[in-house]
Parts: sequence; C-alpha cells; structure tokens
Amino acid sequence: MKTFLIFLAAGIGTYAIRVSGIVMFGGERRLPPRVERSLRLVGPAALAAIIANSLLLDQGEWRAFGAWHLAALVAVGVALWKRSSGWTMAAGAAAFAALLLAGL
Amino acid sequence: MTPSRTLLGVAPPQWADAWSGLKAIAPLMPGSALFGLAFGALVNVAGINPWVGNFASVSVVAGASQIAIVESIRTGAPAVIAVLTALVINARFALYSAALAPVFAAFPRRWKLGLAHLMTDQAAVVALQEHERWPDPVRRRWFVVGGALPFVAVWCVGSAAGIALGPVIPEAWQIGFIVPLMFLAVLVPGLRGAPALTAVGVSTVVVLAAHGLPYGLNVLAGAIAGIVVGSLVPDRAAHPDTDDGLAHDPGAGE
Repeated sequence: MKTFLIFLAAGIGTYAIRVSGIVMFGGERRLPPRVERSLRLVGPAALAAIIANSLLLDQGEWRAFGAWHLAALVAVGVALWKRSSGWTMAAGAAAFAALLLAGL
Repeated sequence: MTPSRTLLGVAPPQWADAWSGLKAIAPLMPGSALFGLAFGALVNVAGINPWVGNFASVSVVAGASQIAIVESIRTGAPAVIAVLTALVINARFALYSAALAPVFAAFPRRWKLGLAHLMTDQAAVVALQEHERWPDPVRRRWFVVGGALPFVAVWCVGSAAGIALGPVIPEAWQIGFIVPLMFLAVLVPGLRGAPALTAVGVSTVVVLAAHGLPYGLNVLAGAIAGIVVGSLVPDRAAHPDTDDGLAHDPGAGE
C-alpha cells in the first residue's frame, strides 16, 4: 500500500510537471522570441545531460574506460554519417555486443 | 474518405499522420521495450506487488525516476524522499513542457492535457524536431500522438513482461547501455547549429563537474546551464541545407 502511494504521488507530481508549461504558455500569452529561442535548446541540453550522466558516470562515479565509451563513439560516428536514429541504434548495439564478446 | 473507412472513429488521413509519427519514433522503440524489461525485472527482484509495478509504468511513464523509487524503497528511504527524488529527476519535463507550449498552442484543451502525459524525452524531442513539417494543427496533433502513444505502450508492455518474467536478461549483457545509446540516437542525428552544439558541450561538462550532487541534481544543473549558455550564442542565419521555406517561423533553425 505504501509503495502504491509513493508511485501515485510520483505519478501525480510528474504529470503536474509535464503539463505545467503547456498550460501556462499555451494560450494567447506568447513567449518572448528570446525565450522561445532558448527553449529550442531544451532538447539538446537535456539529452546531453542524460547521456553524460549515464555513459561517462556510473552511480555518480566515473565509469572505467571500456566498451561503453567505444560503442558510444561508434554510435556518434554513424549518427553523424547517416543522420538516422535507426542506424545509430543498430550500429551502437552491434558495436557494444561485439566489444563485450571480445571481452572488453 | 467515406465514413465507412473510419477505424475506431478515426478517419484515414488522421491514421496516415499518426503513422508518420510512429515511423519517426519507431527506431527508438526497441530501446523503450528493453528499458521497460529492465525496470520490470527490478520490480520483480525487489518483491514489489506486480500490479503496483504496472501501475507505476502507466502513471509515472519515466523510467529513470521509477528505478530511483524502487532503489529508495529497497534501501528503506522515507516515502517523502523517494517521491522527491523522482520529481527532481523528472524536473526536466518542465523544460520540455515550456518548449512544447507553442507547438501545442493550437490544439484543443483535452488534447493538450492528454498529450502532456505521453511526453517522454524521446517523444518530446521528436515533436520539437519535426513539428515544423506539420503546420496544420489537426495534422500536427495526430503526428504527435502517433509519435508518443505507441512508444509509451511499448514501455508499458516491456515493463509488464519484465515484472512477469524477472531478470531474463543476463547481467553480463550490461543492458544499461541502452539508456545512453537511445538518447544518442535521439540527439545526434538532428544536431546542428552553434547554439545547440554549445548547449550540448556545456551541459556535458557541468553534469560531469557536478557529479558529486545527490539525487541526480547534476543532470538538472547541466541541462539548465546548457540552455542558458547556448542561448547566448548567436545563431548565424537559418541553415540553408535544412531550409524548408519556413524561415519566418520562430521555430526555424533547429
């Protein structure tokens, strides 16, 4: 029951966060162009933060260099070359599997 | 476009636009399924009621925060700390929400309220990257729902499977790599322009420099620093290679 209430509270709180900007800035009230320009960087900045935290760190400590870094480099290279999410996922997963099989 | 061809009350043109959205996010779906499987296995191992585990995936729809809650429960942290940690991890959705406000501005209210729940990182970024190709608000909303709902459904099915089956993926496979890989696949292919590149660089450096912060606050700090510094960088002209004739639109140049 306690676990259910924790997830319920987290669900309600997360929905409030997700709907906040859409409701506040979604009507006639337009954002200033400067702010709209900044908001275009939300995606790149947030994604880069998640990637750095999950790839280069492990539970808050530096991740030892190895298969994770190398496979990510392959994925970035293919992403810049093909400009495609599908190719990036496939190349990164294949490189990671190969590196693990090679014992890295 | 005869009424007889509607399916579930939705007409063919709308299905076509939703299908375009689905195709835009489809490459990321295996990642969503695997991440769901990993969360489900964690719920299974922690001995949490399966119904509660599935409720979590449907109601919170944010994997990293759900994993943090399970870890808090396992380590016996107070409930308030468990919830607050999850909300701090999910604070970045407030940034997406503000960025999506102009994209959703012309949608009916119930669409806005419904779509808000489906805005995962991946769906939000797909909507932000692709919305200029859908100037018509009706077509745009069907594109957005097609690029968001199936992704959430795959997440829920994946986590349900993980809860039922337990840790079927061997530890040695290091399935956690799916997280950075999935986000690289969303970020890098569409990455262009000095402001965005600056935002990425600053965000990365701040996340690493602040790695001592508790509750994943370094992620939030990095994202905000990236946005602030990136927006100081002048965006030199619209990018001619991606010019679709919408240069007058304030959203152009992403």
